[in-house]
Amino acid sequence: MVKHYIPSTLKEALEVLDKHDCYIMAGGTDLMVVKHQRSGLIPNFDKDVCYISNLEELQYIFEDEKGVHIGAGTKFSDIEENELVPEILKQIIHELASPNIRNMATMAGNIANASPAGDSIVGLYLLDAELELVNINGSRMMPIKDFIFGVRKIHREKNELIKEIFIPHHDDLNTYWRKVGSRAAESISKITFAGGYEVENGKVKDLRMAFGSVSITCVRDRKTEEKYIGMSVEELHNHVEDIIKDMGKFVTPITDQRSTKEYRYKVAMNILKDFILTIE
Amino acid sequence: MENISFYVDDKEVIIDVDPSTRLLDVLRIKLHITGVKEGCGEGACGACSVIVDGVCYDSCLTPVANVIGKHITTIEGFRNTPQYRIIADAFADFGASQCGFCTPGMILNTYTLLKKNPHPTEEEVRVALSGNLCRCTGYNAIVKAVLDIAENGGDIEW
Repeated sequence: MVKHYIPSTLKEALEVLDKHDCYIMAGGTDLMVVKHQRSGLIPNFDKDVCYISNLEELQYIFEDEKGVHIGAGTKFSDIEENELVPEILKQIIHELASPNIRNMATMAGNIANASPAGDSIVGLYLLDAELELVNINGSRMMPIKDFIFGVRKIHREKNELIKEIFIPHHDDLNTYWRKVGSRAAESISKITFAGGYEVENGKVKDLRMAFGSVSITCVRDRKTEEKYIGMSVEELHNHVEDIIKDMGKFVTPITDQRSTKEYRYKVAMNILKDFILTIE
Repeated sequence: MENISFYVDDKEVIIDVDPSTRLLDVLRIKLHITGVKEGCGEGACGACSVIVDGVCYDSCLTPVANVIGKHITTIEGFRNTPQYRIIADAFADFGASQCGFCTPGMILNTYTLLKKNPHPTEEEVRVALSGNLCRCTGYNAIVKAVLDIAENGGDIEW
């Protein structure tokens, strides 16, 4: 028989996780689909469940001089409406799932679920987000790019909980977002792309490119980006085919029920080209 | 099993239930509130929408543990309000309900939209109802009904 733990404080939750290997239930919008059996039957959980949705300690957004801190229990709709949140994340959330699901689901859940098609993850890679993981003994910070290492694979120890998502300030970064799905709402992405750039005195000061849904994890490569930083905008435009070639190495989509690998690759590269050529 | 308490349509409910039970099943099977519909059962259609502390949830994806202490409004409680009457009349006038299966979810999402934004644009209406699927009307009648309320609904307190 699986056990259900409904802690009323973060401390209680961490004590539960310290003793028991649990599914961590936040909004439930992924777990309740996967574990659903049929109407009238309870979901089919194969290990204990710890419910964290009602922990008020995890529901906050604030900023300090370094960046924006988003509590892991904060719902997508509250994140979308908060003025401290970077514009690109708001854009991503606006197109993510449906209004009801945005009222229920958390960004930390989207991260922990670690689907290659997790839309918010792409924006968080672009912005160098870090996660604060806590257990009963303390906490540690980890960049999101190190936290996710495969399809639904994350570096969370069994006694740990994502407590917070930290997004460093990027006040001068111009951003670009494209999501390709079968329809405007409720679609699971076929391809996503988040781009970022800064131009100062006609020179590229920063360049960032992140793809979702085209590999086992979100794709971003700082070495490739750095190759083109320092160029003039005109030079950058002239190198668009080289950028496509460089980034293309990381874009390794598969064919599944949503799309084909050929379509995904071609469209990903078209979006990348559009992004580069819109930089001015 | 565990005693779980919350409020449904302003009445306190205390039930002994597995905490992972879907709120939808608690409402329909235990409390016999069958105005809440089950469509897809996986969060894609919005037929099971209920209002939880002021915002719409898909009750098919909500474990009942997540609503402990919260206030839930279903279509069966909402139908006793003047706001319901205005929305229902507009839906009737514009032919916005045919088979009726999506209608409880459409009405609750219309209400939460108008409460937050009494004069939405067409785009805002379409976004607010984008998680509610209707296979009969083709949506235009529903959108027109909501826009009509926004324009001609008078000074109703949403």
